[in-house]
Amino acid sequence: MSDPTVVSPSWLEAHCESVTVVDVRSRRDYEDLGHVPGAVNVPAAEFRDPSRVAAGKLPSADDFAALLSEAGIDPDDSIVAVCDEQGVNAARFLLTAAVYGHDGRLSLLDGGLAAWLEDGGDLTDETPDPTPTSYEAELTDDAPLVDRQAVEAAVEGDAIVVDTRTPAEYDQSHIPGAVQVGWEDLLDESGRLRPEDELEELLAAKGIRPEERIVLYCNTARRLSHTYVVLGDLGYEDVAFYEGSLTDWVRSEAAEWNPVELEARVRSYADAGGFEAMIEELGEDVTNHLKLIGLYHQKQEGYFMLRTRAPGGILTAEQASVIGEVADEFARAPEEYGGPDQNPVFGDGYLDLTTRQDVQMHWIRIRDVDEIWSRYEAVGLETMQACGNSVRNVVGCPAAGIDPNETVDVRPVVERVSERFLGDPHYANLPRKFKISVTGCHENCARAQIQDLAFTPAIRDGRDGFAVRAGGGLSDGPRVASDLELFVEPDRVEELVEAVADLYVDYGSYLDTAVNRLRFLVEELGVERFREELASYADFEFETPDEVLTTDYRDDHVGVHEQTDGRSSVGLNVPTGRMGGDEFRELARLADELGGGELRLTPNQNLLVPHLADERLESFLEASVVDRYGPDPGPFSRGIVTCTGREFCNYGIVETKNRAIRWARDLDEWSEAVGIADEREAVRVHLSGCSASCAQPQIADVGLRGEVYRDDYESGRAADVGLGGDLGNDEFIDWLVGKVPIDDVPAVVRAVTLAYETDRDEGETFAEWTRRRSDVELRNLVSEAAGTKPAAIGTEAS
Amino acid sequence: MPADDRSATPAVPTKGVGGDPRESNDDVEEAPGKIWFRDLDEAVIEADRCVQCASCVAACPSDSIGIDAEEKRPTLVRMCTGCSRCWDFCPRSGLRYERLIQLAGEERGLEEPETYAARATGGPAEAGQDGGVVTGLLAALLEAGEIDGAVVARESDEQPLRADAFLATSREDLLEAGGSIYTQTMGLGQIEDLLADADLGAEPDLALVGTPCTIQGATALGRYGHEPADPIALTVALMCTRSFEYDRLRSRIESLGVDPERIESLDVGGGVLTAVDDAGELLLETDVESFDAAGLRGCDECADFVGGGADVSVGSVGTDEGYTTVVVRTNNGRSAWNRAEDALEATEIERPEPLERLAEWNRRRAESVLPRGFDPDAEVGITYEDHRRAYDGTDREPQPLNPARVHQYEEWC
Ligand SMILES: Cc1cc2nc3c(=O)[nH]c(=O)nc-3n(C[C@H](O)[C@H](O)[C@H](O)COP(=O)(O)OP(=O)(O)OC[C@H]3O[C@@H](n4cnc5c(N)ncnc54)[C@H](O)[C@@H]3O)c2cc1C
Ligand code: SF4
Ligand code: SF4
Ligand code: SF4
Repeated sequence: MSDPTVVSPSWLEAHCESVTVVDVRSRRDYEDLGHVPGAVNVPAAEFRDPSRVAAGKLPSADDFAALLSEAGIDPDDSIVAVCDEQGVNAARFLLTAAVYGHDGRLSLLDGGLAAWLEDGGDLTDETPDPTPTSYEAELTDDAPLVDRQAVEAAVEGDAIVVDTRTPAEYDQSHIPGAVQVGWEDLLDESGRLRPEDELEELLAAKGIRPEERIVLYCNTARRLSHTYVVLGDLGYEDVAFYEGSLTDWVRSEAAEWNPVELEARVRSYADAGGFEAMIEELGEDVTNHLKLIGLYHQKQEGYFMLRTRAPGGILTAEQASVIGEVADEFARAPEEYGGPDQNPVFGDGYLDLTTRQDVQMHWIRIRDVDEIWSRYEAVGLETMQACGNSVRNVVGCPAAGIDPNETVDVRPVVERVSERFLGDPHYANLPRKFKISVTGCHENCARAQIQDLAFTPAIRDGRDGFAVRAGGGLSDGPRVASDLELFVEPDRVEELVEAVADLYVDYGSYLDTAVNRLRFLVEELGVERFREELASYADFEFETPDEVLTTDYRDDHVGVHEQTDGRSSVGLNVPTGRMGGDEFRELARLADELGGGELRLTPNQNLLVPHLADERLESFLEASVVDRYGPDPGPFSRGIVTCTGREFCNYGIVETKNRAIRWARDLDEWSEAVGIADEREAVRVHLSGCSASCAQPQIADVGLRGEVYRDDYESGRAADVGLGGDLGNDEFIDWLVGKVPIDDVPAVVRAVTLAYETDRDEGETFAEWTRRRSDVELRNLVSEAAGTKPAAIGTEAS
Repeated sequence: MPADDRSATPAVPTKGVGGDPRESNDDVEEAPGKIWFRDLDEAVIEADRCVQCASCVAACPSDSIGIDAEEKRPTLVRMCTGCSRCWDFCPRSGLRYERLIQLAGEERGLEEPETYAARATGGPAEAGQDGGVVTGLLAALLEAGEIDGAVVARESDEQPLRADAFLATSREDLLEAGGSIYTQTMGLGQIEDLLADADLGAEPDLALVGTPCTIQGATALGRYGHEPADPIALTVALMCTRSFEYDRLRSRIESLGVDPERIESLDVGGGVLTAVDDAGELLLETDVESFDAAGLRGCDECADFVGGGADVSVGSVGTDEGYTTVVVRTNNGRSAWNRAEDALEATEIERPEPLERLAEWNRRRAESVLPRGFDPDAEVGITYEDHRRAYDGTDREPQPLNPARVHQYEEWC
C-alpha cells in the first residue's frame, strides 16, 4: 500500500498520459459541467456508504472493486483524484483505495478543479468509455484503521489523537485529550495546500510531528481523509484513522452518554457533595449530558429543571400524586432567590405542564434527585430521555380510549414506542432530538404537522392504521411535516420509528451541517426519495393509505365531554400550564376518589380528568381546585400557552409565565367588558421567550416570540408578532411585525381581536380572516396598536 | 400565507444568501428586521468585513457568541435565540457608528474637547509606544484606586505580533503591556472571562483600551445600560486608520524576508511602517500601503480615526517623536486626566493640523468605500433589509455561510 501524495495542476498536466484521473463529483456535475480530459467518474455517493455506521462509512470490498472495475481502473494504475470540495471527497476516495490495497500511486490534485482551471487546465464533456477490468479489493492487513479500543489506548498516551473539525465543533465536544487541527487550516485562501514549512510549523505547534503515531477523527470520517492524505504527503509514517469517528465514540456505550450509567453516577452524589462535587469530578460538560436523564441546568447555578415524561400524557393518580408531592417538597427556591416569595404570581413549589405532555419543575438540586428518583421508581415514573438528543416524550391523543369518535386507541402504540427507546444507548444520542406523536382521533389533537414523525388515523383495505407524516418542526426553520403517503398498521409503528431513527442517524450526521434536524433531511432528499430510502430501512412492504381520516383540528380539551362508555371526562384549564404541586396532588386525589384513578396531560398545557361517573361528576366539579382551573374559562385564559422563559431558561429573552397570566386575566376582563367573551371560545395567544419556539407560537392565533428593540435612545424587551396559525389547514403564522415593545403587546392583541370581530364574515375563523386580509393591512393594524411608528419595513408595497 | 399572496410582498431582500437548508422552506414568513447570528455571520464575517471589535460577543445576552481561537473571529458556541442584539451593536452592520458618536458626544462630550501633547514620566515613557501616556495614565489611576484594572493588550508568547487581551491590575502589568500591537484583541468580548480569572471583588471599575471600533461597541452598550458595559469606567481609544489580520500580516512580513520572531516592535506613522529588533536595529521600513492586503478589510469602512466615542483618545500623529497626542473628550475623561496629572507632562495644544488632515482623509476613504450612506443624523440602527439594499451587488455583499462552521446547538425545550 502506498502513502498518498499531493500533486499540483501543472504536474497533472505534464503527466496526464500516464495517470488515471478519477473525478468523484456527482455524475451530473461530471457530465454537465465538464471534467479533466480523460477523467473517469466514480461519484462519492457510491463509494461512501452512509448506512454503515458501526463499520464506518467504508463500502464493502466487493462494492468498491465493482466500482473500480466498472471505471476501468487496474490495481497498479497511478490515480489522481479530483473533486470540487477542496479535496475532501477526493481524499476520501484515495483513502478508501489505500485501505483496500490499491497498488499504484495515489495522489490528490491540490486545490481540486478550481486550481486546475485557475492554472489554465481544460475541461471536456467527452466521457471516456472504459473497458471494465477485473479489479479485486481486499482489506489490507496493515490498513490504517483503528477501532474504539485503539483510540482509548491513544487517549491513554500511546498516540496523538487529532480532531480535524473546526474549533467550534471541537469546543462543543471532543474525544478527551485530542488536539484540534481543522482540515481547512491546512489550506490557503485559494483552497490549495499551504507551503510545506508552514504546514510543518502549524502541526508542530500542536505537537504533531512526523515521528509520532497519529490517530485522526472527525464527525463522519470524511474530513479526516483530507488530513490523512496531507500527512502522508508530508512524510508522516504512522498515521491511522478512526473510521467510526466522533459519531461512534459518542454513541458507543461510554458511561458519560449512557443514560442508565449516568443516572447511577448522579445518584451517587446525593450524599457525596452534590452539585459541586459532581462538577468537580465530572467536569462542567456533564450538565450537557444530564439532559439525557431529564435534568436541565437552569439559569441559576447549581439548580436544575427536572422534566418528567408522561407518554401520551397519561398518568395514574398515584403517579400524579407523587409528582405533586415532589414539586411541593423539592421545587422550592432557596432564600437567596426569594424562597417562598420567589415568584410573585405562583409563589413556590409549583410545576409546569408542557406542550409535549411532560411535567417540569424547577429548583431541583443534585442532592435531591436520588430521593426523587426513588419515589418515582416506586410508581413507575421516568425522567430519562425527556430531554437531550433522543426520542422525546411521545405525544398522544389525550382522549385516547375514551373518545367516542376515535379510529385507533393509541395508548398501546404510544407505550410500545416509548418502551422501545427508553434507555437504549443506541438511540440515546441521535443527531438531534426526535419528536413523535400518535393521534387516534379525527381531530389531529396530537398536532401531527409539528413533529419529526407523526401518525394519524387512516384505512387501507379495510384495516385501521395510520398515515405517516415526517419532517415537521418549529424552532428556526419551521416546516409543516410532509405526508409520506405511507400507511402503517399499529403493530408496525415501532418498527417504522426505528427505521426512521436509523436513517436519521446515518444521514443526519452525514449532512455535516448545522441543521441536522429530520426536517432538513426530508427537505433535502425530497419526500419521494426520503420514502424510498426509508423503505430500505424497514423490513416490511410500504403501502399507501386508501383514506385518511383526519377531518378537523382540535386545539384543546377544555370542558366536560362524554366518553364512549357513558362516563365523563373533564378538561381543566391551567393557564400557562403552571400550578402548585399541592394542587396537582389534590387533583390526583380527586381523580382517584371520584374518577378512574387517572389523569391526562394535553398538548396545550392543560389537564384532563377522565372516567367520572354521572353521580360523581357533580362533586368533582364542586371541588375548589377544580373551580380554580374551571372547565369554563375566559377566552384568553383558555388560549394562553407559554414556554419557561427568562425566569429559568438560559436563553429566554423575555419573562413569560407571570406576564402571560396577567395578560390573560386582563384580556378576559376586557373581553367581558366589550361583550365578546361569549363570542370567542378561545383566543390562542402563545408566548415564547425566544425563537426556539418552545411555546409553539407558529400554531397560535397570535404568536409571540421574545426579542429586544432599540431606538436612538432606548432599548428594551419586545416581541415579534405573528397572526393566523391554523393546523386545521396546515398553516403556520407569518411573523408580521418584529420588535413590538413587550408592554404594548396586550394593546395589539385587543386591536386584532376587535378588528376580527368587526370585520369577519359569517363562520369565518380568526385564521381564515387573517388570510383574507393582506399582510400589509395586518402589519399596519399591529404597528398602530403598538404605537410604534408604522412598521418601518414591509408596509411600503402592494 | 398562500403562495400567490406572497409574490405581492415588496422586493425586500429575503433572509439568507444561500448555503443554508433553512432558507429553502417558506412555511413561515420571517418578521422584517429579524436577525440571527447567521445573518451577522453572512453579512460581516463571511463577507470578510469583520474588524474584530468583539462588540457582538459582548452584546449577546445568552453568551452564544464565542471567539474562534484560530481566527480571532466571532463564532457561534451556543444556541442563538434570534434576539438581534449582536447585529444592533456591530459597527459593520446594525450600528450606525457615526450616529452613535454624535449622540454620545451630545450627551457626554465636553463643550470643547481638549488636546494635549503629552508624555509620561518615568518607566511608562520607556514602555510606551509614543509618549507612554496610556501606560502612565492607567498606572496612576490604578494606584489612586480610581480603577481596579485595565483591559489592554499583550503580545502572544507563541505568536509574535498577535495581540491577546490582558487584564492589567498593577503598574508592572501595565509596563509589560506598553506599546502598540497592530492586531485586534477582541478584549471587549472577554471582560467577563478576564474578571472571572482575576480577583477584583464585586463591581470592579475597569479602563478599556482599544481601537476606535472596540470603543464604539463599548460606548453603545454603555449608552443603553447593557450589563457587559457595567465594569467599564473609562474608555481609551487608540487612534487608528486600520488594524491587521494576524495571518496576513505575518505572511506579508515574511514575504519581505523578515522573520516575525525577530521583530521587537512595529510602528505605523506618517504612512510608513517600520519594524525594529530588540537591539533597535531597523528590520523593515516600507510604505504602509504595501500592507493594504494584510489589513482588515472592514477597516476601510471606518471613518472614526480619532475614536470619537471614547473618553480619551491617543495617537502619535501631530506631536513630536516621544510624545503622544491626546484628546480628552468627556467629563469622565477629564477627571481621569486630572487625577493622573503628576504622572504626565502635558501641554495643551491646538488640534494639530496633521491630525485633522489624517482624520479628514480617513473619513473620505470610508465614505468612498462604504456602500451605505455615511450620515451622522440618520437613525442609529440599520435594519437587515437596509443593509442588504446597500450592500447587495457590491464586493462587500453578504456571503453564504459555511454551515459546517455555524454549528447548531441544543435548546432548552
Ligand atoms: C492597530 C493600531 C493602529 C494605530 N494606528 C495609528 C495611526 O495610524 N496614527 C496614530 O497616530 N496612532 C496610531 N495608533 C496609536 C499609537 O500606536 C499608540 O498606541 C498611541 O499613540 C498611544 O501611545 P502611548 O505610548 O501613549 O501608549 P502606550 O503607553 O504604549 O499604551 C498603549 C496601550 O494600548 C494597549 N494596546 C496596544 N495595542 C493594542 C491593541 N491592538 N488593542 C488594544 N489595546 C492595545 C497596550 O497594551 C497599552 O496598554 C495605532 C494603534 C493601534 C493599536
Ligand atoms: S422558547 Fe426560548 S426562552 Fe422559551 S424555554 Fe425555549 S429556549 Fe427558553
Ligand atoms: S442570541 Fe446572540 S448570536 Fe443570536 S441574535 Fe442574539 S446576540 Fe446575536
Ligand atoms: S465587526 Fe465587531 S461586532 Fe461586527 S462581527 Fe466583527 S467583531 Fe462582531
